[in-house]
Amino acid sequence: MKLKKSFFIALLLSVIALGYWEYHLRSQGYIAVIDDNKALWAETYKKVQKASSEDVVLLGSSRVHFDIQVDTWEKKAGIKPIMLASDGTTPTPVFKDIVNNTDYNGLVVIGIAPGLFFTPNSRDVFFWNRAAVRLEHYYEGTYAQYLNHKVSIPLENSFAFLNGNEEDWNDDVDLKTMLEQIRIGERAQSPIPPFYNFAKVDLDRNVTMFEKTETDTAFANTIIKVWHFLGKGAPPAIKEPVIELYNELIPRFEARGGRVVFLRNPSTGGTRFGENMAIPRKDFYDEFLKQTNSKGYHFEDYEQLNQFDCPEESHLYTPDARIFTAELVKIMMNDGLLINTKTN
Amino acid sequence: MLFNSLSFVVFLIIVMALYYAPLFNWKNKKRMLLLASYTFYGLWNPPLILLLWISTVVDWTTGNKLVKEENQRKRKMWLLLSMVVNLGFLGFFKYGDFLLENFVSLMNVVGVDFQAQPMDIILPMGISFYTFQTMSYTIDIYKRKIQPANTFLDFALYVTFFPQLVAGPIVRAKDLITQFYEPKRATVNQFLFGLFSLTLGLFLKVVLADALMASTSDAVYDSKDILHFWDAWAGTLAFSGQIFFDFAGYSTCAIGIALMLGIVLPDNFMYPYASIGFSDFWKRWHISLSSWLRDYLYIPLGGNRHGITRMYVALMLTMLLGGLWHGAAWTFVVWGALHGIYLVIEKLLKSSIKIKINAFNGIILALLTYTCINFTWVFFRARSFETAQNVLTSMLYLNPEGKAIIGGFDLLKVFALTAILFFCHWFMRNTKVETVAGKTPTWLLGVVWAAMFVLICIAQGTGEQFIYFQF
Repeated sequence: MKLKKSFFIALLLSVIALGYWEYHLRSQGYIAVIDDNKALWAETYKKVQKASSEDVVLLGSSRVHFDIQVDTWEKKAGIKPIMLASDGTTPTPVFKDIVNNTDYNGLVVIGIAPGLFFTPNSRDVFFWNRAAVRLEHYYEGTYAQYLNHKVSIPLENSFAFLNGNEEDWNDDVDLKTMLEQIRIGERAQSPIPPFYNFAKVDLDRNVTMFEKTETDTAFANTIIKVWHFLGKGAPPAIKEPVIELYNELIPRFEARGGRVVFLRNPSTGGTRFGENMAIPRKDFYDEFLKQTNSKGYHFEDYEQLNQFDCPEESHLYTPDARIFTAELVKIMMNDGLLINTKTN
Repeated sequence: MLFNSLSFVVFLIIVMALYYAPLFNWKNKKRMLLLASYTFYGLWNPPLILLLWISTVVDWTTGNKLVKEENQRKRKMWLLLSMVVNLGFLGFFKYGDFLLENFVSLMNVVGVDFQAQPMDIILPMGISFYTFQTMSYTIDIYKRKIQPANTFLDFALYVTFFPQLVAGPIVRAKDLITQFYEPKRATVNQFLFGLFSLTLGLFLKVVLADALMASTSDAVYDSKDILHFWDAWAGTLAFSGQIFFDFAGYSTCAIGIALMLGIVLPDNFMYPYASIGFSDFWKRWHISLSSWLRDYLYIPLGGNRHGITRMYVALMLTMLLGGLWHGAAWTFVVWGALHGIYLVIEKLLKSSIKIKINAFNGIILALLTYTCINFTWVFFRARSFETAQNVLTSMLYLNPEGKAIIGGFDLLKVFALTAILFFCHWFMRNTKVETVAGKTPTWLLGVVWAAMFVLICIAQGTGEQFIYFQF
């Protein structure tokens, strides 16, 4: 066996094949992106343990994740917020964990995406479970998983072909996902429309929406189809158990000096129409704030926050998100909820 | 730490660099390997290293006492101590919740209203493997088949050697400890063949098991629906492929990594899906476990030395316990029982029907064996008897109106891969990868090696745990 020769042939062919694959993917528009996975989230959540009362923690689902730009926030408020909003989750289990298991006593901004927020407090609920899985990883992740995450970051940052995502987007280029896209016949077709990745995340978990979401209407429409599909299949919203839980958590958090504000981010088009029909503001958002005696910012109440069009009806295009963030910080400063720690 | 993870790549590079750098003498290299092995294990859950240490110290002490002690009663007591500690750990950590659950059920059946909170015990990774390994050491010394390890370091490394620590092969002391006595250094060819084996093992795990088979198997066995005939078969065949690729992949990686260090580990799989009959299957599937069960359970239970009835009882008991070794659930017991029944029937048939195996009837019999084995995998994979019943009835076409949940391409993928797997096993059943690689043109071996590596990179495994870690 001339294994040395075979090894060098294998090495050469591997470099050529992977180099070609990388070149091919980049020519298709793929870029190197970090996976917004549970390991990255857990790394970010660690910051809460060390956070001071001047820090700001952002919780919520994808709307807070997309619409709040942490660099803009830092520029305006002097402190970079800890971005813990997660796509497709309700923020409630994370807030519950902050209250129960940390000493954090700063400001928490909690995004209310009605369809995800007003759901039962149970792990059986998809949105709650997704958040719980991330919390679980924070508590139970092994040192080996931590090391894997650390080693994978520079690689993910360098190669477009390593863009396999925990979210399993339909346009991921890992072998399993690529094979899943092949269809033969009509047998057992998934009713869910294809869901393509439309943003990238950085190490601070700050999201940047891909430009094509704004410029390519056909692409944006594929995402809109997913929102409409999910909206149609969603169970009826409920508020009582959510109010009850927050009524238990907020006083305890405030008793140790913490502050909580709620935020309703913009949505547009059919998605907003559907939300208004199924989860009317008056019955849910307003009632929630009233019963929990909480402060909230609804985009409809502020002209400067109500000037945007979401390319896919649910999230702001990043340049708009920067303006939204700056305006929100300004409003919160005027209300005395934030002070610029650098200028003060 | 998992072989299919980036942190392991870093770990292995560091270990190889330290092993081959002219920094240490052989004793210090072994110390380095031991420390690396504890690191490998501890990066998962550091406190559980304590169990490894206890097991190591107890069996080291027992081994030394057993070799010196002449009093048979005292020797038995020392052996008993080792068994109690090892099986005690295994029983508590692996079967604690299972025993409690069954005790509660039993109490309720006899009318006693007894409830208990599950203990939620963490299952230490690889406990079934290293427990069996250390027990074999002590039992072999008790039977005066082997001498104790020369040094504590050699023994500790035998218990903890990272390539095979968490999922085998379960190596006997005589096959591994003696290799630690003399300095070991892989030749270039050994090192590269070890690297090739590591690539092959990762290809089996990351590409074939995780990327190609797992999703179909999970979809079928996680489904609450009554499924269609084709879906049930696809799910079962996918699991049959997944568990082979997963476990044989791990063993191939372990053998490859050890070889890169100049250490030879025994084969653990010999193309089991081309087995002709079930005794042949158990000579080819998880060889290190089946030979352990044969030597330390079946033979002590009487084996074939006390008549046919006793032999069948011993066989059934061995397979039932072998099933339970795989997991704390009655479904695993049924899996073991089915294999026991198959073996008994085979022995009965063999005593009355003589068949001369040729290429034609051989492949038919292998296919028949493989089909029967697939029925046993249903119980191995199903998390409940209800799921097993649903899948089995669908496989037997008793649910013609069952739901189709697997897409056309996935069906084709699973059936095609299963056919390839079966024929590969058939053509490889009397040979080895090393032999085939030796006969393959250099350039072609390079191309195959590159193809496997590139597919591993493209598959981008998410670091899925190996199935056998949970056993």
